[in-house]
Amino acid sequence: MRILIADDESVSLRMLERTLQRAGYQVTAVRNGRAAVEELCRPEGPRLALLDWMMPELDGPAVCREVRSQRGQRHVHLVLLTSKNSKQDVVTGLESGADDYLIKPFDPGELKARLHTGRRILQLEDSLLEAREEMRYKATHDALTSLLNRGTIVELLAHELTRTRREDGCTIAVLGDLDHFKLVNDTHGHLVGDEVLREVAKRLLRSVRSYDFVGRYGGEEFLLVLNNCDAKKSIERAEEIRSAVCRSPIDTTQGTMSITVSVGVIASRGRGIETVEEFICEVDRALYSAKAAGRNCSRLA
Amino acid sequence: MSGVNRSVPNDALLGRFVDLPDLLARVEDDRDLLTELFVIFREELPGLHGALHAAIDVGDLSRAAKAAHALKGMLANMSMERGATIVADVEMAARSGHISALKGTLASFDSEIAELSAAICAFLEGT
Repeated sequence: MRILIADDESVSLRMLERTLQRAGYQVTAVRNGRAAVEELCRPEGPRLALLDWMMPELDGPAVCREVRSQRGQRHVHLVLLTSKNSKQDVVTGLESGADDYLIKPFDPGELKARLHTGRRILQLEDSLLEAREEMRYKATHDALTSLLNRGTIVELLAHELTRTRREDGCTIAVLGDLDHFKLVNDTHGHLVGDEVLREVAKRLLRSVRSYDFVGRYGGEEFLLVLNNCDAKKSIERAEEIRSAVCRSPIDTTQGTMSITVSVGVIASRGRGIETVEEFICEVDRALYSAKAAGRNCSRLA
Repeated sequence: MSGVNRSVPNDALLGRFVDLPDLLARVEDDRDLLTELFVIFREELPGLHGALHAAIDVGDLSRAAKAAHALKGMLANMSMERGATIVADVEMAARSGHISALKGTLASFDSEIAELSAAICAFLEGT
Protein backbone atom coordinates (compact mmCIF):
# COMPACT_ATOMS: atom_id res chain seq x y z
CA MET A 1 0.00 0.00 0.00
CA ARG A 2 1.17 3.54 -0.75
CA ILE A 3 1.76 6.00 2.05
CA LEU A 4 2.80 9.64 2.11
CA ILE A 5 5.19 11.02 4.72
CA ALA A 6 5.40 14.78 5.11
CA ASP A 7 8.14 15.99 7.42
CA ASP A 8 10.80 18.67 6.99
CA GLU A 9 13.10 17.10 9.55
CA SER A 10 15.60 14.76 7.88
CA VAL A 11 16.19 12.32 10.75
CA SER A 12 12.49 11.75 11.31
CA LEU A 13 11.83 11.46 7.58
CA ARG A 14 14.54 8.83 7.04
CA MET A 15 13.55 6.86 10.14
CA LEU A 16 9.90 6.77 9.09
CA GLU A 17 10.76 5.94 5.51
CA ARG A 18 12.87 2.94 6.48
CA THR A 19 10.42 1.68 9.12
CA LEU A 20 7.51 1.82 6.69
CA GLN A 21 9.43 0.30 3.79
CA ARG A 22 10.35 -2.62 6.05
CA ALA A 23 6.66 -3.00 6.84
CA GLY A 24 5.90 -3.30 3.12
CA TYR A 25 4.64 0.21 2.35
CA GLN A 26 5.49 2.12 -0.84
CA VAL A 27 6.63 5.43 0.57
CA THR A 28 6.37 8.87 -1.00
CA ALA A 29 8.27 11.44 1.06
CA VAL A 30 7.78 15.21 0.88
CA ARG A 31 9.26 18.01 2.98
CA ASN A 32 6.51 20.62 3.08
CA GLY A 33 2.75 20.86 3.53
CA ARG A 34 1.95 22.22 0.07
CA ALA A 35 3.66 19.26 -1.63
CA ALA A 36 1.70 16.93 0.70
CA VAL A 37 -1.64 18.44 -0.36
CA GLU A 38 -0.69 18.14 -4.04
CA GLU A 39 0.23 14.47 -3.64
CA LEU A 40 -2.83 13.55 -1.59
CA CYS A 41 -5.29 15.34 -3.87
CA ARG A 42 -4.13 13.65 -7.06
CA PRO A 43 -6.82 11.20 -8.25
CA GLU A 44 -4.48 8.23 -7.74
CA GLY A 45 -2.65 9.76 -4.78
CA PRO A 46 -1.83 7.79 -1.58
CA ARG A 47 -4.78 7.18 0.75
CA LEU A 48 -2.68 6.94 3.88
CA ALA A 49 -0.55 9.81 5.19
CA LEU A 50 1.70 10.65 8.13
CA LEU A 51 1.95 14.40 8.61
CA ASP A 52 4.27 16.38 10.80
CA TRP A 53 2.66 19.42 12.45
CA MET A 54 5.27 22.12 11.87
CA MET A 55 6.28 22.26 8.23
CA PRO A 56 7.12 25.01 5.72
CA GLU A 57 4.31 26.50 3.57
CA LEU A 58 1.43 24.64 5.25
CA ASP A 59 1.41 23.04 8.68
CA GLY A 60 -0.08 19.60 9.37
CA PRO A 61 -3.55 20.78 10.48
CA ALA A 62 -3.77 23.06 7.41
CA VAL A 63 -2.90 20.08 5.20
CA CYS A 64 -5.74 18.12 6.85
CA ARG A 65 -8.20 20.95 6.23
CA GLU A 66 -7.18 21.36 2.57
CA VAL A 67 -7.30 17.64 1.86
CA ARG A 68 -10.74 17.34 3.46
CA SER A 69 -12.06 20.25 1.40
CA GLN A 70 -10.49 19.24 -1.94
CA ARG A 71 -10.48 15.48 -1.99
CA GLY A 72 -13.31 13.72 -3.89
CA GLN A 73 -15.39 10.93 -2.50
CA ARG A 74 -12.55 8.55 -1.53
CA HIS A 75 -11.39 8.92 2.05
CA VAL A 76 -7.73 9.51 2.83
CA HIS A 77 -6.57 8.44 6.29
CA LEU A 78 -4.53 11.25 7.83
CA VAL A 79 -2.32 10.75 10.86
CA LEU A 80 -0.62 13.68 12.57
CA LEU A 81 2.79 12.68 13.93
CA THR A 82 4.23 15.46 16.06
CA SER A 83 6.12 16.33 19.18
CA LYS A 84 3.31 18.72 20.15
CA ASN A 85 1.86 16.74 22.99
CA SER A 86 -0.59 18.85 24.97
CA LYS A 87 -4.27 17.85 25.21
CA GLN A 88 -5.20 21.05 23.39
CA ASP A 89 -2.82 20.18 20.52
CA VAL A 90 -4.42 16.75 20.18
CA VAL A 91 -7.91 18.28 20.08
CA THR A 92 -6.86 20.95 17.57
CA GLY A 93 -5.16 18.35 15.37
CA LEU A 94 -8.14 16.00 15.32
CA GLU A 95 -10.58 18.87 14.76
CA SER A 96 -8.59 19.93 11.69
CA GLY A 97 -9.58 16.65 10.04
CA ALA A 98 -6.86 14.21 11.15
CA ASP A 99 -8.06 10.66 11.79
CA ASP A 100 -5.37 9.84 14.31
CA TYR A 101 -2.67 11.55 16.37
CA LEU A 102 0.71 10.16 17.36
CA ILE A 103 3.37 11.76 19.53
CA LYS A 104 7.04 11.86 18.48
CA PRO A 105 9.30 10.06 19.04
CA PHE A 106 7.25 7.22 17.63
CA ASP A 107 7.38 3.60 18.65
CA PRO A 108 7.60 1.47 15.47
CA GLY A 109 5.21 -1.17 16.81
CA GLU A 110 2.56 1.37 17.76
CA LEU A 111 3.01 3.25 14.48
CA LYS A 112 2.48 0.10 12.43
CA ALA A 113 -0.54 -0.92 14.51
CA ARG A 114 -2.16 2.50 14.07
CA LEU A 115 -1.53 2.42 10.32
CA HIS A 116 -3.02 -1.06 10.21
CA THR A 117 -6.15 0.37 11.80
CA GLY A 118 -6.18 3.06 9.11
CA ARG A 119 -5.95 0.39 6.41
CA ARG A 120 -8.88 -1.47 7.97
CA ILE A 121 -10.97 1.71 7.79
CA LEU A 122 -9.98 2.26 4.14
CA GLN A 123 -10.83 -1.36 3.30
CA LEU A 124 -14.20 -0.93 4.97
CA GLU A 125 -14.81 2.20 2.92
CA ASP A 126 -13.81 0.35 -0.27
CA SER A 127 -16.27 -2.44 0.42
CA LEU A 128 -19.04 0.07 1.17
CA LEU A 129 -18.36 1.92 -2.09
CA GLU A 130 -18.28 -1.39 -3.96
CA ALA A 131 -21.64 -2.38 -2.43
CA ARG A 132 -23.11 1.02 -3.29
CA GLU A 133 -21.89 0.69 -6.89
CA GLU A 134 -23.35 -2.80 -7.13
CA MET A 135 -26.70 -1.53 -5.81
CA ARG A 136 -26.63 1.39 -8.23
CA TYR A 137 -25.96 -1.01 -11.11
CA LYS A 138 -28.76 -3.35 -10.04
CA ALA A 139 -31.16 -0.43 -9.72
CA THR A 140 -30.45 0.82 -13.23
CA HIS A 141 -29.84 -2.37 -15.23
CA ASP A 142 -31.88 -5.34 -16.33
CA ALA A 143 -30.71 -8.48 -14.52
CA LEU A 144 -31.17 -10.82 -17.50
CA THR A 145 -29.63 -8.85 -20.36
CA SER A 146 -27.51 -6.30 -18.44
CA LEU A 147 -29.05 -3.59 -20.62
CA LEU A 148 -30.46 -0.45 -18.99
CA ASN A 149 -33.81 -1.18 -17.37
CA ARG A 150 -37.08 0.48 -18.33
CA GLY A 151 -36.95 3.27 -15.76
CA THR A 152 -33.41 4.24 -16.68
CA ILE A 153 -33.82 4.18 -20.47
CA VAL A 154 -37.00 6.29 -20.24
CA GLU A 155 -35.24 8.74 -17.94
CA LEU A 156 -32.32 9.00 -20.37
CA LEU A 157 -34.70 9.52 -23.28
CA ALA A 158 -36.40 12.37 -21.38
CA HIS A 159 -33.01 13.90 -20.64
CA GLU A 160 -31.88 13.62 -24.27
CA LEU A 161 -35.13 15.15 -25.54
CA THR A 162 -34.66 18.15 -23.27
CA ARG A 163 -31.05 18.54 -24.32
CA THR A 164 -31.67 18.28 -28.07
CA ARG A 165 -34.59 20.72 -27.80
CA ARG A 166 -32.27 23.20 -26.06
CA GLU A 167 -29.47 22.66 -28.59
CA ASP A 168 -31.78 22.39 -31.61
CA GLY A 169 -30.51 18.84 -32.22
CA CYS A 170 -32.31 15.59 -32.93
CA THR A 171 -32.86 12.48 -30.84
CA ILE A 172 -34.08 9.26 -32.39
CA ALA A 173 -35.91 6.55 -30.44
CA VAL A 174 -36.14 3.03 -31.79
CA LEU A 175 -38.60 0.59 -30.23
CA GLY A 176 -38.15 -3.05 -31.26
CA ASP A 177 -40.27 -6.06 -30.39
CA LEU A 178 -39.19 -9.64 -31.15
CA ASP A 179 -41.65 -11.37 -33.48
CA HIS A 180 -43.51 -14.44 -32.18
CA PHE A 181 -41.33 -14.58 -29.11
CA LYS A 182 -44.08 -16.30 -27.11
CA LEU A 183 -43.66 -19.23 -29.48
CA VAL A 184 -39.96 -19.53 -28.51
CA ASN A 185 -40.89 -19.68 -24.83
CA ASP A 186 -43.79 -22.06 -25.36
CA THR A 187 -41.85 -24.42 -27.65
CA HIS A 188 -38.38 -24.42 -26.13
CA GLY A 189 -38.96 -23.16 -22.60
CA HIS A 190 -38.19 -19.90 -20.81
CA LEU A 191 -34.51 -20.67 -20.33
CA VAL A 192 -34.00 -20.78 -24.10
CA GLY A 193 -36.13 -17.63 -24.35
CA ASP A 194 -33.68 -16.01 -21.93
CA GLU A 195 -30.72 -17.08 -24.08
CA VAL A 196 -32.37 -15.46 -27.09
CA LEU A 197 -33.00 -12.23 -25.19
CA ARG A 198 -29.37 -12.10 -24.04
CA GLU A 199 -28.07 -12.61 -27.57
CA VAL A 200 -30.44 -9.99 -28.99
CA ALA A 201 -29.19 -7.56 -26.35
CA LYS A 202 -25.59 -8.17 -27.45
CA ARG A 203 -26.49 -7.64 -31.10
CA LEU A 204 -28.31 -4.42 -30.31
CA LEU A 205 -25.34 -3.09 -28.35
CA ARG A 206 -23.02 -3.92 -31.23
CA SER A 207 -25.30 -2.12 -33.69
CA VAL A 208 -25.10 1.31 -32.03
CA ARG A 209 -22.40 3.86 -31.23
CA SER A 210 -20.72 3.90 -27.82
CA TYR A 211 -22.65 7.00 -26.76
CA ASP A 212 -26.10 5.69 -27.70
CA PHE A 213 -28.30 3.99 -25.09
CA VAL A 214 -29.94 0.57 -25.25
CA GLY A 215 -32.55 -0.60 -22.73
CA ARG A 216 -34.94 -3.45 -22.16
CA TYR A 217 -38.34 -1.77 -22.24
CA GLY A 218 -40.49 -4.81 -21.50
CA GLY A 219 -40.48 -8.64 -21.87
CA GLU A 220 -39.23 -8.81 -25.46
CA GLU A 221 -39.27 -5.08 -26.20
CA PHE A 222 -36.13 -2.97 -26.51
CA LEU A 223 -35.86 0.80 -26.57
CA LEU A 224 -32.83 2.51 -28.12
CA VAL A 225 -31.99 6.20 -27.78
CA LEU A 226 -29.69 7.58 -30.48
CA ASN A 227 -28.18 11.02 -29.98
CA ASN A 228 -27.32 13.74 -32.48
CA CYS A 229 -28.78 11.94 -35.46
CA ASP A 230 -29.92 13.09 -38.85
CA ALA A 231 -33.74 12.89 -38.74
CA LYS A 232 -33.85 12.04 -42.47
CA LYS A 233 -31.81 8.91 -41.85
CA SER A 234 -33.91 7.59 -38.97
CA ILE A 235 -35.68 4.86 -40.95
CA GLU A 236 -32.33 3.87 -42.46
CA ARG A 237 -30.82 3.53 -38.94
CA ALA A 238 -33.84 1.52 -37.78
CA GLU A 239 -33.38 -0.88 -40.69
CA GLU A 240 -29.68 -1.30 -39.90
CA ILE A 241 -30.54 -2.17 -36.30
CA ARG A 242 -33.32 -4.56 -37.36
CA SER A 243 -30.94 -6.32 -39.80
CA ALA A 244 -28.23 -6.58 -37.14
CA VAL A 245 -30.63 -8.51 -34.89
CA CYS A 246 -31.88 -11.00 -37.46
CA ARG A 247 -28.89 -11.27 -39.82
CA SER A 248 -27.97 -14.77 -38.58
CA PRO A 249 -29.74 -17.45 -36.51
CA ILE A 250 -29.14 -17.50 -32.76
CA ASP A 251 -27.29 -20.45 -31.20
CA THR A 252 -29.03 -21.78 -28.08
CA THR A 253 -28.68 -24.92 -25.99
CA GLN A 254 -31.72 -26.25 -27.87
CA GLY A 255 -30.20 -25.58 -31.31
CA THR A 256 -30.15 -22.55 -33.60
CA MET A 257 -33.25 -20.47 -34.21
CA SER A 258 -34.09 -17.60 -36.50
CA ILE A 259 -35.46 -14.50 -34.87
CA THR A 260 -36.96 -11.43 -36.45
CA VAL A 261 -37.90 -8.09 -34.96
CA SER A 262 -40.44 -5.41 -35.79
CA VAL A 263 -39.28 -1.84 -35.29
CA GLY A 264 -40.91 1.55 -34.78
CA VAL A 265 -38.77 4.68 -35.04
CA ILE A 266 -39.28 8.35 -34.28
CA ALA A 267 -37.12 11.45 -34.64
CA SER A 268 -37.62 14.42 -32.33
CA ARG A 269 -36.79 17.19 -34.82
CA GLY A 270 -39.79 19.06 -36.25
CA ARG A 271 -42.29 17.53 -33.85
CA GLY A 272 -44.28 19.44 -31.30
CA ILE A 273 -44.13 16.64 -28.74
CA GLU A 274 -43.78 17.97 -25.20
CA THR A 275 -43.35 14.91 -23.00
CA VAL A 276 -41.40 11.68 -23.11
CA GLU A 277 -44.67 9.77 -22.63
CA GLU A 278 -46.09 11.30 -25.83
CA PHE A 279 -42.85 10.50 -27.66
CA ILE A 280 -42.96 6.85 -26.56
CA CYS A 281 -46.65 6.65 -27.41
CA GLU A 282 -45.84 7.79 -30.98
CA VAL A 283 -43.01 5.31 -31.47
CA ASP A 284 -45.20 2.55 -30.04
CA ARG A 285 -47.80 3.35 -32.73
CA ALA A 286 -45.08 3.06 -35.38
CA LEU A 287 -44.09 -0.32 -33.94
CA TYR A 288 -47.74 -1.42 -34.10
CA SER A 289 -47.78 -0.38 -37.79
CA ALA A 290 -44.73 -2.53 -38.44
CA LYS A 291 -46.47 -5.51 -36.78
CA ALA A 292 -49.64 -4.85 -38.82
CA ALA A 293 -47.55 -4.70 -42.01
CA GLY A 294 -46.49 -8.31 -41.54
CA ARG A 295 -43.65 -7.97 -38.98
CA ASN A 296 -39.84 -8.06 -39.56
CA CYS A 297 -39.84 -4.50 -40.90
CA SER A 298 -39.43 -0.89 -39.70
CA ARG A 299 -41.96 1.94 -39.70
CA LEU A 300 -41.45 5.66 -39.06
CA ALA A 301 -43.79 7.52 -36.72
CA MET B 1 32.87 -9.45 15.28
CA SER B 2 35.84 -7.10 15.04
CA GLY B 3 33.44 -4.28 14.04
CA VAL B 4 31.43 -4.80 17.23
CA ASN B 5 34.58 -4.78 19.43
CA ARG B 6 35.93 -1.69 17.74
CA SER B 7 32.70 0.26 18.31
CA VAL B 8 32.34 -0.54 22.01
CA PRO B 9 34.42 2.37 23.47
CA ASN B 10 32.77 4.89 21.19
CA ASP B 11 29.34 3.46 21.97
CA ALA B 12 30.13 3.93 25.65
CA LEU B 13 30.91 7.61 25.09
CA LEU B 14 27.84 8.09 22.94
CA GLY B 15 25.78 6.28 25.55
CA ARG B 16 26.25 9.27 27.87
CA PHE B 17 24.07 11.33 25.53
CA VAL B 18 21.99 8.78 23.67
CA ASP B 19 19.81 5.99 25.01
CA LEU B 20 21.28 3.52 22.55
CA PRO B 21 19.13 0.49 23.48
CA ASP B 22 16.04 2.65 23.02
CA LEU B 23 17.26 4.01 19.70
CA LEU B 24 18.22 0.55 18.47
CA ALA B 25 14.76 -0.71 19.37
CA ARG B 26 13.20 2.19 17.49
CA VAL B 27 15.18 1.41 14.33
CA GLU B 28 14.32 -2.27 14.81
CA ASP B 29 17.96 -3.21 15.33
CA ASP B 30 18.98 -1.90 11.92
CA ARG B 31 22.59 -0.84 12.63
CA ASP B 32 23.17 0.50 9.12
CA LEU B 33 20.19 2.78 9.55
CA LEU B 34 21.47 3.81 12.98
CA THR B 35 24.76 4.93 11.46
CA GLU B 36 22.98 6.67 8.60
CA LEU B 37 20.81 8.58 11.10
CA PHE B 38 23.87 9.78 13.02
CA VAL B 39 25.38 11.00 9.74
CA ILE B 40 22.17 12.90 8.90
CA PHE B 41 22.00 14.26 12.45
CA ARG B 42 25.59 15.51 12.28
CA GLU B 43 24.86 17.26 8.99
CA GLU B 44 21.57 18.84 10.09
CA LEU B 45 22.49 19.91 13.63
CA PRO B 46 24.70 22.95 12.84
CA GLY B 47 22.01 24.54 10.64
CA LEU B 48 19.24 24.16 13.21
CA HIS B 49 21.47 25.17 16.11
CA GLY B 50 22.66 28.20 14.13
CA ALA B 51 19.06 29.16 13.32
CA LEU B 52 18.20 29.10 17.03
CA HIS B 53 21.11 31.41 17.87
CA ALA B 54 20.37 33.74 14.95
CA ALA B 55 16.73 34.12 16.05
CA ILE B 56 17.73 34.85 19.66
CA ASP B 57 20.43 37.31 18.53
CA VAL B 58 17.84 39.44 16.70
CA GLY B 59 15.25 39.00 19.48
CA ASP B 60 12.81 37.06 17.30
CA LEU B 61 11.45 34.81 20.04
CA SER B 62 8.74 33.28 17.88
CA ARG B 63 11.33 32.07 15.38
CA ALA B 64 13.55 30.96 18.26
CA ALA B 65 10.70 28.86 19.69
CA LYS B 66 10.17 27.22 16.29
CA ALA B 67 13.87 26.45 15.92
CA ALA B 68 13.98 25.03 19.46
CA HIS B 69 10.89 22.93 18.70
CA ALA B 70 12.55 21.49 15.57
CA LEU B 71 15.69 20.65 17.56
CA LYS B 72 13.60 19.06 20.31
CA GLY B 73 11.91 16.79 17.75
CA MET B 74 15.18 15.74 16.17
CA LEU B 75 16.89 15.05 19.51
CA ALA B 76 13.89 13.10 20.80
CA ASN B 77 13.83 11.04 17.61
CA MET B 78 17.47 10.14 18.23
CA SER B 79 16.71 9.13 21.85
CA MET B 80 18.81 12.04 23.16
CA GLU B 81 16.57 12.64 26.12
CA ARG B 82 18.73 15.06 28.07
CA GLY B 83 19.37 17.27 25.05
CA ALA B 84 15.68 17.18 24.16
CA THR B 85 14.71 18.19 27.72
CA ILE B 86 17.14 21.13 27.76
CA VAL B 87 15.99 22.45 24.39
CA ALA B 88 12.36 22.02 25.49
CA ASP B 89 13.20 24.48 28.27
CA VAL B 90 14.70 26.80 25.66
CA GLU B 91 11.48 26.54 23.63
CA MET B 92 9.32 27.23 26.69
CA ALA B 93 11.43 30.24 27.71
CA ALA B 94 11.23 31.63 24.17
CA ARG B 95 7.46 31.18 24.08
CA SER B 96 6.99 32.88 27.43
CA GLY B 97 9.44 35.69 26.58
CA HIS B 98 11.76 35.07 29.56
CA ILE B 99 15.02 36.35 28.10
CA SER B 100 17.19 35.66 31.16
CA ALA B 101 15.88 32.09 31.50
CA LEU B 102 16.34 31.66 27.78
CA LYS B 103 20.00 32.68 27.86
CA GLY B 104 20.69 30.37 30.82
CA THR B 105 19.14 27.31 29.21
CA LEU B 106 20.74 28.15 25.88
CA ALA B 107 24.18 28.03 27.47
CA SER B 108 23.42 24.58 28.93
CA PHE B 109 22.15 23.46 25.55
CA ASP B 110 25.25 24.74 23.74
CA SER B 111 27.46 22.82 26.11
CA GLU B 112 25.38 19.63 25.68
CA ILE B 113 25.52 19.98 21.88
CA ALA B 114 29.30 20.49 21.86
CA GLU B 115 29.89 17.30 23.84
CA LEU B 116 27.27 15.37 21.91
CA SER B 117 28.77 16.40 18.56
CA ALA B 118 32.21 15.21 19.67
CA ALA B 119 30.75 11.86 20.80
CA ILE B 120 28.96 11.39 17.48
CA CYS B 121 32.12 12.19 15.53
CA ALA B 122 34.05 9.65 17.57
CA PHE B 123 31.33 7.07 17.04
CA LEU B 124 31.22 7.61 13.29
CA GLU B 125 35.00 7.48 13.00
CA GLY B 126 34.91 4.13 14.76
CA THR B 127 32.33 2.57 12.45
